[in-house]
Amino acid sequence: MTKKRIGALTLAALALTPTLLFTAGCSGEETIVLRVFNWEEYIDEGGEGSYQYDYEVNEDGSAPPIIEDFEVWYEETYGTPIRVEYSTFGTNEDMYNQLQLGDTYDLLCPSEYMIMKLAAEDYLQPYTEDFFDPDIEENYYIRNVSPYIREMFESNRINRKDENDSSTWSDYAAGYMWGVTGFVYNPEFVNEDELAALGWDAMRAPQYRNRVTTKDNVRDSYFVALAICYRDEIEALDMSAPDYGTRLAEIMNRTDDETIARVEEIMREMDENIYGYETDTGKADIVSGRIWLNFAWSGDAVYAMDLAEAGEDEEGNEAEQALLNFFIPEECANLWFDGWVMPKGANTQAAQAFVNFLSRPDNAVRNMYYIGYSGVIAGEEVLEYVKDCYSVDPEEYESEEEYTKYDLSYFFGDTVEEGTAWFYADTVQATSRQLHAHYPTLEVTQRCAVMDYYGEEANEAINELWSRIKSETLDTWAIVVICVGIVLVIAAILLLKFGNKIDFFRLPPKKGYKRVKQQNC
Amino acid sequence: MKLHFSRKMLGIPYLVFLIFFVVIPMLVILFYAFTDKEMHLSFGNFIQFFSDPTKLSTIVYSLVIALITTAVCLVIAYPVAYILARSKMKRKFVILLLFVTPMWINFVLRINAIRELLGWIGLLGEANYFNTIFGMVYDFLPFMILPLYTTMLKIDDSLYEASSDLGAGWSTTFTRITLPLSMPGIASGITMVFLPSMTNYVISDMLGNSKVTIIGKFIYEYFGTNWHMGSMVALVLLIVVFLSTWLTGGFREDETVRGANL
Repeated sequence: MTKKRIGALTLAALALTPTLLFTAGCSGEETIVLRVFNWEEYIDEGGEGSYQYDYEVNEDGSAPPIIEDFEVWYEETYGTPIRVEYSTFGTNEDMYNQLQLGDTYDLLCPSEYMIMKLAAEDYLQPYTEDFFDPDIEENYYIRNVSPYIREMFESNRINRKDENDSSTWSDYAAGYMWGVTGFVYNPEFVNEDELAALGWDAMRAPQYRNRVTTKDNVRDSYFVALAICYRDEIEALDMSAPDYGTRLAEIMNRTDDETIARVEEIMREMDENIYGYETDTGKADIVSGRIWLNFAWSGDAVYAMDLAEAGEDEEGNEAEQALLNFFIPEECANLWFDGWVMPKGANTQAAQAFVNFLSRPDNAVRNMYYIGYSGVIAGEEVLEYVKDCYSVDPEEYESEEEYTKYDLSYFFGDTVEEGTAWFYADTVQATSRQLHAHYPTLEVTQRCAVMDYYGEEANEAINELWSRIKSETLDTWAIVVICVGIVLVIAAILLLKFGNKIDFFRLPPKKGYKRVKQQNC
Repeated sequence: MKLHFSRKMLGIPYLVFLIFFVVIPMLVILFYAFTDKEMHLSFGNFIQFFSDPTKLSTIVYSLVIALITTAVCLVIAYPVAYILARSKMKRKFVILLLFVTPMWINFVLRINAIRELLGWIGLLGEANYFNTIFGMVYDFLPFMILPLYTTMLKIDDSLYEASSDLGAGWSTTFTRITLPLSMPGIASGITMVFLPSMTNYVISDMLGNSKVTIIGKFIYEYFGTNWHMGSMVALVLLIVVFLSTWLTGGFREDETVRGANL
């Protein structure tokens, strides 16, 4: 084959390709592709363990993943076929790295501080105005989002660094899941009153030495240490004052040098006292009784308590003890949420439709049931689900102390019929079990603070602090001695290897012998 | 145009692989290590790394952990390999298999099992450094046994016969024949155990309850927050890798060493 002919063939092929592509594209109607980037196991994936499967919602017994249902719904509603490209990440930082590497998405689900970081770095695209129009039938988000969450989203500025930027969270983010942090504890070994008196300081308490864990991530550990550090100041605040929330948030977001120095001291003491840092082994360890106290996000706490109640650990083995409790320290807890944001250049129409579909109350229930966290969506179906889970009949109880009136009207507000957002709950459930973690009362949420994005500089200082805590630091002289030692060892090895090539290091020849010049072979 | 097919061309796929997955990534690491956030050339990371006792301590700790792991592996593996290679047992491959089969099971599963065992004994959370080294020895032992076994198998029997003919005792035979001739295996085994045990932070996280920080974990954490410093740490690690490979003779081209490298 000559060069010319190859060239001609290539040209022909090049000329043909667009035609081929074009015909392929025309065979159906243009399919929209929606690229969604979410946490692992953070959406209803259908099949066993899903709401539709367990309650046999569909007549044919099928339980498709919620994404498939969305694709069907979208085409029925908007008349265009859509395909969701769904991928997952493990940490906020992983997600951020993917974005920086140039991956493009239409919808992301980071946590609050990462949303603020992305906003500060101008990555995000605001939601369009018609997303907030409650008169549009398909706007499930705005029609069903809990007024409590909505108020929080509308009152917090997203970009704290730029004074002129008055946009709030709600301009850029739609909530998905939310919760608080606290301790899962084993009441067999941990006295409730003692724990209540200690609060977060249980991390440093000698009686729980090697029996308490925290998360292997800097932000959660920093928050705990802050709460210990400024406990007196927090408790001196007047809870009934209107600016209580802002002042609490100010304390819990301090990153000045003096704070960092004090926090470092506390974190070092925590480091010495705790059993270890964990990312996901904590649930199994507390259920098996190996540890007594486990710092947990509310959704994980519910999961651990459910496991303990079922009398099984993650592998399905019978556990030695059955029941666990959840405790939210009096002084302050971290209120967190994950929300949907759109990076610049996203397909806003499809992305917003996806958020709306997930916010339809029946779908919100599906997701909550599957992943075990609490959604930001209120509405009749969600209230019904919560009542199904936790409501009890007072007549079955002997004394009035065993049940409590549990009021969630702050969360459900006007999304449900007035005066219905309460029920009777088992007192234990309401004060120290799943319900307490799943839907904390208004009183609890009031003493919670959101952790902001600290900003580039403070972030770096805190990361350095974290690496100092996590690593054992040797004295300078020890490092010098060891380095000298290593150099000596290397020198010794080199001498052994090449020493015989240098006359200086060779033994003098025995008497009567002569050294012959080494031959290269 | 006539295509000349030579044997050299068989190397092209490997070359392409090498360029894309080894050379270019290394250049990227080098680039990131010596730039700052604004992508300007900077030695800031370099200076910060070598002036920060925390980072240097972590390197020292990793080195010590890796050295102990390697030494323990060698002490256990050498007699095993010797016995296996020298004995006239009929079914000695069964013993070899017993050591090697765990390698075929995913190591995360094995470490999980070890974690449960240590928890059952009561060591978990009590002796983090011991647990980490224990896990690493368990995990890397086959990598020490195999190269030792293959080199020792290759030692000519007639050498032992000659040595015994000339009246050498057991210890002389060992120091004059077995040890020198198994040196390539030792060198190769050391490289294969020492280097991964400096970076395998899954073991230190799971068995040391994340309280033991080795250099691998350090790199991982920095790549969540600051790629430039992460690359600098990775670069330092690379230098350690090159240094130790060079010292144990991994770059030598003679046939005995090559044979021992699996």
